[in-house]
Amino acid sequence: MINWTSWLDYSFMRNALVAILIITPLFALLGTMIVNKKMAYFSDALGHSALTGIAVGVVFGMQDTTISMVIFAVVFALLLNKISSRNTASTDTIISVFSSCSVAIGLAILSAGGNFSKYSAILVGDILSITTQEIGYLVGIFAFTILFWIFGFNYLNAISIHRTVAKSKQIPVKLMDNLFAVLVALIVMLSIKWIGILIINALLILPAASARNISENIREYHLFSLIFSLFSGIVGLVVSYYTNVATGPMIVIIASVIYFATYLYGRRK
Amino acid sequence: MKNKYVFVLVMLFTILVVSFGFTNIYVSHSQPEADEDFVVVTSFYPMYIASMNVIGDTEGITLKNLSEPQTGCLHDFQLTPADMKLLSTADVFVINGGGIESFMEDIAKQYPELVVVEACEGIELLCEEDTHGHAHSHSEEEDIHGDEEHDQEFELGHSHDEDAHNHDLNAHAWMSVELYRKQVENIANGLAKAAPKSTESFLANAGMYDRKLEALQVEQEKLLTLTQGEEVILFHCAYDYVAEDLGLETAFCMDLDEERQVSAGEVAEVLEVIQHNGVKYIFAEALYGTDMCEMVQKEVDVEVIYLDPLNRGEYEADSYIEGMRKNLKLIGEVFQ
Repeated sequence: MINWTSWLDYSFMRNALVAILIITPLFALLGTMIVNKKMAYFSDALGHSALTGIAVGVVFGMQDTTISMVIFAVVFALLLNKISSRNTASTDTIISVFSSCSVAIGLAILSAGGNFSKYSAILVGDILSITTQEIGYLVGIFAFTILFWIFGFNYLNAISIHRTVAKSKQIPVKLMDNLFAVLVALIVMLSIKWIGILIINALLILPAASARNISENIREYHLFSLIFSLFSGIVGLVVSYYTNVATGPMIVIIASVIYFATYLYGRRK
Repeated sequence: MKNKYVFVLVMLFTILVVSFGFTNIYVSHSQPEADEDFVVVTSFYPMYIASMNVIGDTEGITLKNLSEPQTGCLHDFQLTPADMKLLSTADVFVINGGGIESFMEDIAKQYPELVVVEACEGIELLCEEDTHGHAHSHSEEEDIHGDEEHDQEFELGHSHDEDAHNHDLNAHAWMSVELYRKQVENIANGLAKAAPKSTESFLANAGMYDRKLEALQVEQEKLLTLTQGEEVILFHCAYDYVAEDLGLETAFCMDLDEERQVSAGEVAEVLEVIQHNGVKYIFAEALYGTDMCEMVQKEVDVEVIYLDPLNRGEYEADSYIEGMRKNLKLIGEVFQ
């Protein structure tokens, strides 16, 4: 029999737990809106832009590449919003172009001299990288998101249902869109180091998508998304600790299982 | 409506039970061990083999290796939670030193009490710049070396090596038999100090192992007549020490290891060096160097010797000696 609480003896695991308790509810909230607005591709591109953000930080010789990552992602998100609202080509094409372009730049800079392996940890995530300082940032973002949700959710929801109608009702469509994009950028960048670029999007999308499979109204949608997100986060963390598997993938595996179960359940009806 | 909540509860509960159940099975299968022992943890393979020989069958000592057998050199190694766990049970941590364990800072922070034995202590390591022969980025180095070597050798764009290794030291000291003997001695002394009860056993084992290594060194010195003064190209910086031991001149060294992508320009540089200096031999590692060497061999006439960097392999006490003997045999055959 193993001791199921021994993981709490380590400060890095305690940090990870706190981070998960803060970040998974945020992912759940934002995820519901991302799924509603069909922005899965957008958040994926945002995750990939982390590479470029790090590269920019490296080029400018910054000690803390988190800052450059966050700044770059915010700029990237705003730019993406602006260009896709022009509607010259379909949105997914534009996002794809932006995403591949930024990944290419990031890879080119980071792999200069064939030395990409140093950064490969960011692809799968490294749970030991969570610092107390980052948890501080996360708490700030958490508070901000909750406020934004309380005051802005109805607007966002209206926009996601029908843009033009929302505009005619004096809702600041562009502002809300941009605020939302910035928020997603901030949260993704602050958690990407330990979840990993390759799978961070799954964490945003899966809980909300699972919740959507079985919910009948917005309240249920949020509730289930929140439960699934927290559940997969905590169980994934504990299991990954005992089995020596990277934490991000473990969380995503559990979230995927939930998705398939709810999918089957939802289809049955 | 109600069904749904029941479903969610049942689903989550099932996932919980299944995942924890599997974890439980996994954990109870993977670590059935006594924990009263004095635990020695080593940072990677060569240190493990050296410590294994020092410890031998001494009672009450458990030896464990930090990274998985296949990790190889530790340049980009990330500690996993399991490693941190392992270290928390350790009494002594044996490391190579020379900057190869780039995670030591984190460890020192987490476990300030941990006794660390550094095998490279007191050993004069080679400098990476020395053999790379490029004159950029380190003004101090330039001052020391002056111009005489840089004029002849090619300047190469290897600025990344400085970042990757933290220091500019080449930490692969175990590749030199002579230095490896010193490392074994350091480990034996370090362990003897940390576990005074077993001092005699450690020193006796180390002495026995050293005699075997001495014989190996004699074998190596026999090769000197064949190799002295020849020029080689190295595709792994660890072979610097082999070259040094054998009196070989290094014309060019390029680190081809885990996840290293070579650009077209670098290949051209290698070819240029070979043609310009008339180099006839390449030392490479089979795992990462094969593609590159085959390409180079198509272009120019050069002998490739695939050496084992001895940084991964079987967990056998004699694997260092056997591996090194095989390396020397390969070199001897080609140089004859």
